[in-house]
Amino acid sequence: MAEANDTNLAQFKAGILDNNPVLVQLLGMCPTLAVSNSVENALVMGAAVIFVLTMSNLIISLLRNLIKPHVRILIFTLTIAAFVTIADLALKAYVFEVSKKLGPFVPLIIVNCIIICRAEVVASKRNVWRSLADAWGCGLGFTMALCILAVIREMLGAGGITILRDLGWVWHLDAKTFEPHAWVVMIMPPGAFLTLGLVIGVVNHLRAHGARKRGG
Amino acid sequence: MEIGALVGIFLSVVLVNNFVFAQFLGICPFLGVSRKVDMAFGMGCAVTFVMTISGVVTWLIVHGVLAPIGRQFGNPEALYFLKYVIFIMVIASMVQLVEMYLRKFFPALYVAFGVFLPLITTNCAILGACLLIDMNDVYQRSLLKSAVFAFGGGIGFMMAITIMAGIREHLRFSDVPKALQGAGITLLTACILALAFMGFAGIGK
Repeated sequence: MAEANDTNLAQFKAGILDNNPVLVQLLGMCPTLAVSNSVENALVMGAAVIFVLTMSNLIISLLRNLIKPHVRILIFTLTIAAFVTIADLALKAYVFEVSKKLGPFVPLIIVNCIIICRAEVVASKRNVWRSLADAWGCGLGFTMALCILAVIREMLGAGGITILRDLGWVWHLDAKTFEPHAWVVMIMPPGAFLTLGLVIGVVNHLRAHGARKRGG
Repeated sequence: MEIGALVGIFLSVVLVNNFVFAQFLGICPFLGVSRKVDMAFGMGCAVTFVMTISGVVTWLIVHGVLAPIGRQFGNPEALYFLKYVIFIMVIASMVQLVEMYLRKFFPALYVAFGVFLPLITTNCAILGACLLIDMNDVYQRSLLKSAVFAFGGGIGFMMAITIMAGIREHLRFSDVPKALQGAGITLLTACILALAFMGFAGIGK
């Protein structure tokens, strides 16, 4: 954990860049692969994860002195499951089409390793503000990674990006030019593995490069 | 006829809708525990075991407990908001039970599964199987079909993770670019495997 100075802001930034849950720590791979087939899905999923992560970190941080060590994982999981139920019902109520496309991946936030990991590493040990900073950092880091993958996959696979068709906000990027040449495989499962593999490769390369530079 | 439908469900979930390659369930163990074939096979067996049991038990709870109690209040779905909390508790307790049972009656199997059993609680393939059964009308009507689906899901997972481990054992001797070592090259291999599995699309129906 690269924590140069131990502040809330540093914790927030670490979650987005140095300790990005998806691209650096390789946590939460299943939703990342499954949901990054369109930018819209990625944004809705990111919002759901930020909500659940914030609430679970908040509650667990408040309860941290009451939780006995041997039942902690059970309590973490049940807390998370309660908030995932709320998020799932809210998504079904407001963005039904997207929630249908996300399918089992909203309830699967319960077993998302990012959230359990943050509860274990930060929320069960630090105060409320630190836990919230960490939740937002990691949540935004997760959303950012999802969006990077989704932009690549949707541009190549569908020929343009469509956001929130339900609400009438359509942003189609020059679809006429690209659509006939779309690589449909990019929005199918192999495209997900390919894109994530290459993006992780690029991130590793940049980190090694940065470390070399800093080393002299 | 019934047998044919069951075989169709089994083949479809093992090959066409493989949990790992088509539905992205259980990617974490797929990346983490796929270094050696025997480890991968052990993990696959443990997952199949727990997945079948928890698929059946969650089906029974939804139809045998939640729906009848809901009906008392006039709406069978009245308690369905409790589903997720109950599913995860069932899986956690199933894992505990299986662990205790194996330790008592099949010590050899317990030693083989030992390391993997606690990990399985947070394996999204297990919860995913329960949720997929819960979302599908066909499986909602038949416990047997649900059981075959859950069992097939486990077998598909075992197949995927064992194939991957076999490839990774050979990859150790290849010259992989530094940035792609580890997760990167595993994901790219998975991409090619997923392409191969797309060839099964259309079987069954």
